[in-house]
This record gives sequence, structure tokens and C-alpha cells, in this order.
Amino acid sequence: MSETLRRPAFWALAGGTALLLALPFYLDAFWLQTGLFAISAAIGAIGLNLLTGATGQLSMGHAFFLAVGAYGYVYLASDDGAHVSGLGVPTPLAFVGAVVLAGVAGGLFSPIAGRLRGTYLGIASLALIFVGQHLLMNVEGVTGGFNGRDVPPLELFGLRFDDSPDLVVFNIPLGALERLWFLAVALLIPAAWIARGIVRGRPGRAMNTIRDHEVAASVMGVPVARYRAGVFVLSSMYAGAAGALLALVFRRTVPEYFGMFLSLDYLAMIVIGGLGTAAGAIAGAVFVSVLPQLLTRFGGELPLVSAPGTGGVSPAEAARILYGAAVVAVVLFLPGGLVGLWTRLRLRITARRRPPAPLTRLDNKEQPA
Amino acid sequence: MRDELIVSGLTVRFAGLTALDDVGFTVAPGSVHAVIGPNGAGKSTCFNVLSGVYRATEGSVTFGGTELTTLAPHRIAALGIARTFQNIALSRHLSVEDNLMLGRHRLTKAGFLSAGLRLPRARREDARHRARVRDIAEFVGVGDHLAAPVGMLPYGVQKRIELARGLAMEPRLLLLDEPVAGMNGTERQRMADVIVRARADLGISILLVEHDMGMVMRLADEVTVLDFGKRIAGGPPADVQRDPAVLRAYLGAAHEPTAGTATATEEEERERA
Repeated sequence: MSETLRRPAFWALAGGTALLLALPFYLDAFWLQTGLFAISAAIGAIGLNLLTGATGQLSMGHAFFLAVGAYGYVYLASDDGAHVSGLGVPTPLAFVGAVVLAGVAGGLFSPIAGRLRGTYLGIASLALIFVGQHLLMNVEGVTGGFNGRDVPPLELFGLRFDDSPDLVVFNIPLGALERLWFLAVALLIPAAWIARGIVRGRPGRAMNTIRDHEVAASVMGVPVARYRAGVFVLSSMYAGAAGALLALVFRRTVPEYFGMFLSLDYLAMIVIGGLGTAAGAIAGAVFVSVLPQLLTRFGGELPLVSAPGTGGVSPAEAARILYGAAVVAVVLFLPGGLVGLWTRLRLRITARRRPPAPLTRLDNKEQPA
Repeated sequence: MRDELIVSGLTVRFAGLTALDDVGFTVAPGSVHAVIGPNGAGKSTCFNVLSGVYRATEGSVTFGGTELTTLAPHRIAALGIARTFQNIALSRHLSVEDNLMLGRHRLTKAGFLSAGLRLPRARREDARHRARVRDIAEFVGVGDHLAAPVGMLPYGVQKRIELARGLAMEPRLLLLDEPVAGMNGTERQRMADVIVRARADLGISILLVEHDMGMVMRLADEVTVLDFGKRIAGGPPADVQRDPAVLRAYLGAAHEPTAGTATATEEEERERA
């Protein structure tokens, strides 16, 4: 334990968590909502990074599983209404149920996910988006059709995650967004911790080798198809949790949100942040979620960006162009993404602090002929 | 018999092209058996069938009485058959240690849940197998590079890591696909030493595909010669070296066996490699 306390990584983590927990006391509603989108996106992106970054399986269907999580929660938690039905399950169970449901949906697709490699899975999973959109629009009894459905607030141990004015901490009233913030942080930390354990452990090595050299993985004893299917289910569950959390933040689910662009956003997140790690997914999710909001907020001061509908480039478009450029820049100049950049900077700093090691000749036997 | 590899009547066809035609040989437990032949003779195809990567069209391969031709590659690995690749097949971004730990996959159990939650079971397992992997790295002579990403290391070291990963599977049979291809003299010598010691210390059987005749003659107890997918000769190295069919395959039909052809074969092979 004392060794853990001396590691800078531990203190960085503890400081980061403390900062995350303190933020709701200082941020206004706009930034809280942006932050909540970023945290939800981070959970979803961690799942996609396990699949695409660590295992090399491209998925265009991530938005579908986000939708399953979001609508799954709504359907399970809502009571029967005039036009839409619901099961009226207690909301925390409904949240867990939504994650399980997304996992089951992933499991149903896993015979395909297990057999197809890399980009081929990307093409096959595109179908999920179209199936998803069709179902969301047309199964009105469950999804509410084009207009979507209201999301019932979560209620955990008597605490409702809405604006009921009875929670005041340090003289600051905690509304729905503040309360959801704590919930989101409480979900993100274990999500990242578990993903990190998987990537660094036995399953992660098998996944990385499937990505790098499928035949080598199989002859070393890795059941490749079963692993691919398993990772697909796992990444669907992460997407389900992210979707349910997004639904709670939005307070309304609408089908058009869960389209192909959402899947592309998630792919942009993991590429920009860094493929294959939980940290990369989080960094990318923050970048991609916060950038459009920054441009909306401060767009007036930037050249070329104008309010939507007035001609010129709208903030949302500017954001897309910018992170399109970011993806290209990362692919060309930063192979490890934002996290890779951070690692390189850290190495440079530690190298400067330490005197350079004397250069020794290679062992004679290792000299090239 | 236990741990005996018996290949019989093995035929592999790819859409009309016959890569292997009725090939048969036996690898005795604890022996080093070499498969040689000119380029395109079917050596690599043979390896890919043995490790389950290709399906055999006809024939059978049994190891310790178990039929291999119907098994998936990971099931063959589970029987204790390890292989290395001619073209290095390591994960370039992973450390040497992690690459070797992949070899322990079949011997370990941690899944998504126990690795994700870092259950004590998974942590103990990890520590135990890391210790063994470090021993194996020392044994093969890559112990100094454990933390380095494989992609940063020289070719000769990567070839030894391939071998170490195979040994990390604690195999009963090790398939080595051209373990010294592209190496210089010292590196070859070093690799040969490791193979000899691995066999002596661990008592495993080794099936070797190699172009370096000096290496084959020094290491192998038995040699099988393939040419155009057919087995043209087999036996102890010294006999095979003098076999007229082998000389024809390597040097062309016009060549008549005379005294001193053994060295001629060896030189010819060097040139090819």
C-alpha cells in the first residue's frame, strides 16, 4: 500500500477524482450538461475501444447499442401510458436491465461478430444502424416513434435524480444535473477500471494478438471467434450503459440522435484519444463532446463561425470540420492519439530530469553482420 | 504411443493445385525431425495443416493418438503443440513479456470478469506465470529486453522471442518454421544452441523446417525431404544427404551423384538461403 501512495499515477488519479467530484459545485447548467455528455460518451467510447482499438474489430453499429440502452431503460422504467407501454420496473433495476439488454442484443449479433474480421465487421454492423432506425421509428408502442419518449428520472435509495428541491450541500442546491453528475462519475470510474484490467490482463493480450496477428493468436491457443464474440457483447454493454445515462441526461429519447453520425463520432473519439486504452477513450470523448459546445459558447468571437441559420458555418458544422481535421492530424502525426502525445511528453520530461544513461556498445553477438 | 506425431497419406489441394500429395512421416517422442525441400515443396503447407490453420483434403495427422485434422487451431494448441512462424508474428507494440505471456494463454484461466475485477485468483495466476515467463526469457537469452516493445528490437532477437513464446506454451511438440532464416552466423549458432538445450532440458519433440543444411545436419535425428508436395526421401541426415532423388531435386536432373556431393548440396543450399 505504501508503494501505491508513492506512485504519481495514484495521486493523479486521486486528484482527478476529487476534481470531478468538486466540479458540480462550480459549473453552471450548460457546462454540467456538456460534462455529462462527455462522461456518457466516455463510457460508450471505452466499450468501442475494447472492440475496435484493442481487438481490431471495426464497428459501425455502436449507435444501435446506445439506442438499445437508452430505450431499454425507458421501456423498463416507464409505466404504461396512453400510447406507449412500459414495464414499470424500479429504476435502478431498469438501468441494470438496459445494460443487460444491450449485452443480449450484442449476443444476438455475435455469431456474425465472431466470424467477421476487422473492416468486414464494420460493413456488416452498418446494417444494425438501419435496422435500429427502422425499429425506433415504427415500433411506436415501445419507442414512441418519431417523437420519442420521456425518460423517467432515476430513483436510488430514496434519492430522485431530478430537480425536486430538497437536496442542499454546502449551501448549494443540487438539481438533476448535479445529482446525475455524481452518478455518472460513479459509473465512469469502475467502467474505466474494469476495461483497464481487461486490456492489461490475459484477455487483453489475446485481444491485441487477434488484432495484430490472428493466425498467431489461434495457434497460441486463443479461441478467436469466441473472443471476438465476447468482446462484442462486452462493448455492447458499455454502449448500453452510456445510452441509458444519456437518456437520463437528455430526459427525452429521440430516434434521429442514434443515427450513423453518432457511430462515426464514437470512432472519431477513439482515434483522436488513442486506440486500445480506456484513457484514450476518455480523452477522445471529452475532446469530441466538448468541442461543439465550446464553439457554440464562444463561436461569436471566432472568425467564420456564425449563429445557425444566418449563413456561414454553424458551430456544429465548425466542430465537425475541426474534429475531422483532428482525426486526419492524429492519423498523420500522432499515432498514439492524445494519450500517445501525453506519454511522449512525460517520457521527455523524465528523460530531462534524469541524466542520460551512458551509451554502451551492443553485445558483440548482437552486432549486425 | 504417447506424444508421437504420425502423419499419413496427407494430401492438401487448393482449387486444383496439389500442395501436398500423400505425405507421411513419424516424429518419435523427444526427437528432432527436420522437413526439408526446395522452395514451394509444401513444407509450410504441411506446418499449417499440423497447426490447424489449413484443412487437409485427405489423410490423417495424429498426436499421441488424437486426430488433429478436424480440430481448430486453439484445440491443437491445447494438446501441447506450439509453433513459431517463418515471418515473425509477434505483437509489435506489446512488450516482450506480454508477448511471452500470450504463450501462457492455454495454461491460464482469467477471463473478462476476473481480469476486469482483478480478483485475487487472477492476480496470483498472473504473478506465477510471469515468473515462469521470465525464466524462459533468460533461457532463450532475451531476458534483458522484457519491458521493451517487440517492434523496437533487432530481427535476430525477435526470432528468439518467437521461440521463447513457443516454449512458454510448455509444449510437448514444438514446430519451428525456419528458425534461423535471415540470421547471420553468430545468431544462427546461438539459436542452434538454444534449440539443442530446449530439447535436452525439456525433453520435447521438435519438428523443424529449415533451409540451412548445416543446421539440419547438426540438429536433426531424422529428415524428411519434400519436393513438389511429394515425399521423395527420408531417414537419418547422413543417408538423406547421399540419396540420389534428393540430389536431383536440389541440383537438377543432369547431376549425377559422385563423391563429395554432400558438400555440394550444402553449398547449393547456402546460396538459395
